Amino acid sequence: MTEILESLQFVYGPQVANGLAIGVAVILMALGLTIIFGLLDVINMSHGEFYALGAYLAVTLVGQGVNFWLCLALVPVAMAAIGYFTERALIQRVFHTKDRHILTLLLTFGLAIIAEDAFKLAYGPNPYKPESPISGASEILGIMLPNYRLFLIAAGGAIIVAVWLVVYRTTLGAMVRAAAWDKNMAASLGVPVERVYAGTFAFGVALAGLSGVLLAPIYSVFPTMGKDFILMAFTVVIVGGMGSIKGAVIAGLVLTQIQSISSLFISPVWSDPLVFGIMVLFLMVRPQGLAGRLGHG
Amino acid sequence: MADTPATRVAVRTAVAANERADALGDGVLAGAFVALALVFAAVAAASGDTFFFRLATEALILAGVAMAVDLLLGYTGLLSLGHALFFGFGAYVSALVLKHWSPSFWAAIGVTFAAAALLGVVAGFIAIRARGVYFALITFGLAQVVFKAVYNTRELGGSDGIIGIPQIRVEFGLFSVQASSPLGFFLVTLVFVMLLYAALAWLMRTPFGRLLVAIRANESARALPGILALARQAGGLRDRGRGRRALRQPVPHAARPGVAGAAGLPDIGQRRDHGHPRRRRHLVGALYGAVILTGLKSVIGTWTEHHLIIIGALFMLSVIFLPKGFAGYVLPRLRRRFAPGAGKPGEGA
Repeated sequence: MTEILESLQFVYGPQVANGLAIGVAVILMALGLTIIFGLLDVINMSHGEFYALGAYLAVTLVGQGVNFWLCLALVPVAMAAIGYFTERALIQRVFHTKDRHILTLLLTFGLAIIAEDAFKLAYGPNPYKPESPISGASEILGIMLPNYRLFLIAAGGAIIVAVWLVVYRTTLGAMVRAAAWDKNMAASLGVPVERVYAGTFAFGVALAGLSGVLLAPIYSVFPTMGKDFILMAFTVVIVGGMGSIKGAVIAGLVLTQIQSISSLFISPVWSDPLVFGIMVLFLMVRPQGLAGRLGHG
Repeated sequence: MADTPATRVAVRTAVAANERADALGDGVLAGAFVALALVFAAVAAASGDTFFFRLATEALILAGVAMAVDLLLGYTGLLSLGHALFFGFGAYVSALVLKHWSPSFWAAIGVTFAAAALLGVVAGFIAIRARGVYFALITFGLAQVVFKAVYNTRELGGSDGIIGIPQIRVEFGLFSVQASSPLGFFLVTLVFVMLLYAALAWLMRTPFGRLLVAIRANESARALPGILALARQAGGLRDRGRGRRALRQPVPHAARPGVAGAAGLPDIGQRRDHGHPRRRRHLVGALYGAVILTGLKSVIGTWTEHHLIIIGALFMLSVIFLPKGFAGYVLPRLRRRFAPGAGKPGEGA
């Protein structure tokens, strides 16, 4: 009996908590992806690079002596501006063509290739690791946890709730859902659809950037970090249901727990195939995902 | 348009005229491609060059991959983001065969073709469950997963790749070509790539190829009631038919980059298929696109190693401004010159 308790306390407990911290960051990223898909019908292949850009911006600002907490506020604002510009300057150009899905996918794929190489050019291939802004660890239920991870879980959880409130409880969110449900009807009722599109894209990009800043002190910051992370984010979005906020939260929590616990038993090399296998399984068995799409209930 | 025998004949005549004009335009461009390649080979051989031979050979190999992507995206509308998987797989298989089993070029290319076809069946079985953007995501994920697995497998050389692959001699019975000879290997690659082109161009004119086009179920396919009926007969409902057809389809296409990989360059594992998107129905565009991009990469490479920034920018610009790609831009203009009056301008692009 004590053996079981001990293994729960020292083996499974920390793993579950770490999975939770990563899960919160994954959900933030997946929320951006899924909202962009739900409203614009655009698969943002460069989402991982926006996440990396957020982390790199934080590294740069911290290097300039800016306080980490200030970064946490500044970077999402900067990322939102970048996202707004990206939507207006690039996505809009192919948005109204017949092959919108493929063309926007190719366009953001190209953007990802450029961004990854640009990171190498600007920062070199070596990883950066910003110092954790909160040091020390606390004991919860007998499990020792770094304070920064606790902060990450709390702050990320609060942001997820805030996103949900914005989308489902504000006029702004109602506009977004209306535009996702019926673009023409929303436009004729006075919703500035074009600006809602750009704003939503900006919002999703800001969430990716925020998740980059939050994870930077835990993982390192390196040029291909976006590509390493994007498969997980896509899997969360597909399992949760493309365009579903609720689905992304549930899938994000479950999948990161599966990954976290399974890493106790299998080599980390196989955690990617495992995640991918779940994604394929869902596409076979339940292609619509766990929950309904944005604006569709 | 009413579906009467008379309109059917009219539609078929117009379609046939269009196809003849298309084939003529493709033929002119493909012939010009071979002629230019031979002129280049003569000049380069006369000046004792090796660098440009290597570059041109690389361009031809890339052209093989590009044709395979084109076959999928251009003819069936399926966007595969994981095509580098088949390219790298072909290179790895041929390297393993050459190193551990037999130094014969034909053994390597045969085993690679069979193995790549098998992988194509497996990958097709997984990926074809999904359509549209999901297909793109699955192929992307598949390539990422396999890349990471190989990258972390020490038995396959890990991040160093496989080294010490023997230099091969390509036996043609009456004569043989050393793979280390720049001119010889360039010509061998040219022959293989052009044979591949001819085979694909032929395949696309067979009923099977027409079916691939028809299952796109776009406007031009609806104008061909006979072919659509054929597609329906073959696969029940259109959606189910699409799944089955497409499941069969990735097999030949997957084998192809495998062969391109077998032709050399085992170190380019994670190469992405740049190139003009949607060189739809103009395989010949893949040949020119590959050469233009390889040349460009080399030119940019002389002043920065970050050529992906510029090539990525060009890629994005071509998505925005040339969504029909290079051939889609040139061929309608060529056709108007060579076969005035055949078809509407812009059709078939």
